[in-house]
Amino acid sequence: MTETIELALKTLEAQLNQPLETALEACARCGLCAESCHYYRAEPKVKHIPAFRAERLRSVYRYEHDFLSRLFPVWTGAKKLDEPTLASLTEIAFSQCTLCRRCTVNCPLGVDTPLMMRAIRAVTTASGTAPEILVMLADAAIEKGKDPSFFKDMFLEQIAEMEEQLRDITGDPTATIPVEKQGAKILYVPLAGAHTILPPAAVFNVAKEDWTLSIFEAANYGVFLADVNRAKQVAKRIVDEANRLGVKEIVIAECGHAYASYRWDVPNWFAGQFDFKVRSLIEVLADYIRDGKIKVDPTAIPEGVTYHDSCNLARNGGLIEEPRYVLKNVVRDFREMTPNRDQAICCGGGGGLVALAEYAERRIAAGKPKAEQIKQTGARIVVAACENCRLQIGDLNERYKLNVQITAITDLVVRAMRLPKPLPGHEAERLFEGEEAAVVRE
Amino acid sequence: MSDAKLSLDFKGLLCPMPVVKLAQAIKQIQVGEILEAIATDPGVMADIPAWTRSTGHELVSLDKREDKTFKFVVKRLK
Repeated sequence: MTETIELALKTLEAQLNQPLETALEACARCGLCAESCHYYRAEPKVKHIPAFRAERLRSVYRYEHDFLSRLFPVWTGAKKLDEPTLASLTEIAFSQCTLCRRCTVNCPLGVDTPLMMRAIRAVTTASGTAPEILVMLADAAIEKGKDPSFFKDMFLEQIAEMEEQLRDITGDPTATIPVEKQGAKILYVPLAGAHTILPPAAVFNVAKEDWTLSIFEAANYGVFLADVNRAKQVAKRIVDEANRLGVKEIVIAECGHAYASYRWDVPNWFAGQFDFKVRSLIEVLADYIRDGKIKVDPTAIPEGVTYHDSCNLARNGGLIEEPRYVLKNVVRDFREMTPNRDQAICCGGGGGLVALAEYAERRIAAGKPKAEQIKQTGARIVVAACENCRLQIGDLNERYKLNVQITAITDLVVRAMRLPKPLPGHEAERLFEGEEAAVVRE
Repeated sequence: MSDAKLSLDFKGLLCPMPVVKLAQAIKQIQVGEILEAIATDPGVMADIPAWTRSTGHELVSLDKREDKTFKFVVKRLK
């Protein structure tokens, strides 16, 4: 047995808890999971049935845990783990499953196939065979936490420039983007880059919110690797900042995996009660509109708008009605995809797959059912509250010629707030809106 | 005249895609060679130095330019 295989098996054993063992043992092979999977819907082949994928891990598990399987592996379909099998498992877990959990909610037994895919991801990460780029991105985030001094000044410089833009957009010369403000009520955790900072900053300023940024971003590639050790190190940066600043809540940017992990996984990883709660920016936007803290014009966006439920936000996170409440307050023509909410079809970009160039073709092919859903709505704008979903739908837009704009919820809210100037990159939309509005008035 | 073996255009890409593309591109040059890239997402100011630190490559320079783009030069060290 090679060292890699030894490490892989050791990691698999370490993960065997009751939920995973139940998933490994409980499947009735009914095949009802097939139609629930976007890979199967895009290409109806046996290899795309979730139960078939899971069987690859089950066969290894049987070999290790069933006496008969060890003696007569051919009889029971057991498989001794070797290098080619590990490579095949890696490919399955990172390119044929986005961990969307649609198969689980449609399984009569509730078999958690994505939990098995996560187990494989953890095995491959520990044995050094996981996709290199995900490991690099997780390690780069950890590096930032170890010594922020190498980027902090540059970050603050960027924020100062964004603040100038913010004042221009809001028409408020006192508008600010606070960083590391002690005692602020909200610690808003964006993604890297201006596009998830400037629009929420406009909203927070108009709502007169007591908020702050830290220097760290929400994305956590350790989650995609199913590597709790790395994921904890990335998350710890934010948890420590929230504690240090004494905030009441952490508000996560429009990002599926970051929200789901901070809301549901982080409390488990750190096995403790926090003095702050975790919410999505979408929940905060809904409250601001409900409480009248921001005024939005429900006629501001005349184009047909549809909403894509990110699996991590809706099915796995429980954020289903909040985004709809916000959108129905800011768009004139809202159109649902079918199916939607907790039965929404995955776009194909989750689970870290958008970062894996080696599987891009497979990812875009698996997004065909989502592309067809979007086409059927006839909407011109597709809203997604998750960065990975937006990147994937951008690729689908190009491949399947959807001719849609893809945007975040906050960007539409800012547009509907009718601020003196549009967000950068939204100037053309403002022009379009003006033309459309003129037609409506006739 | 630039010494870069590879010049890349990451304009319009949002983080982490510049890092993803950089990680792919670095394999196309030999150890000791350099590549340069232009990006528009300010996130690269933190992400690129963090990536070079964690992967052991050398960040030769990272500059914000007058046209509000970011230019970075990376040397492959392993």
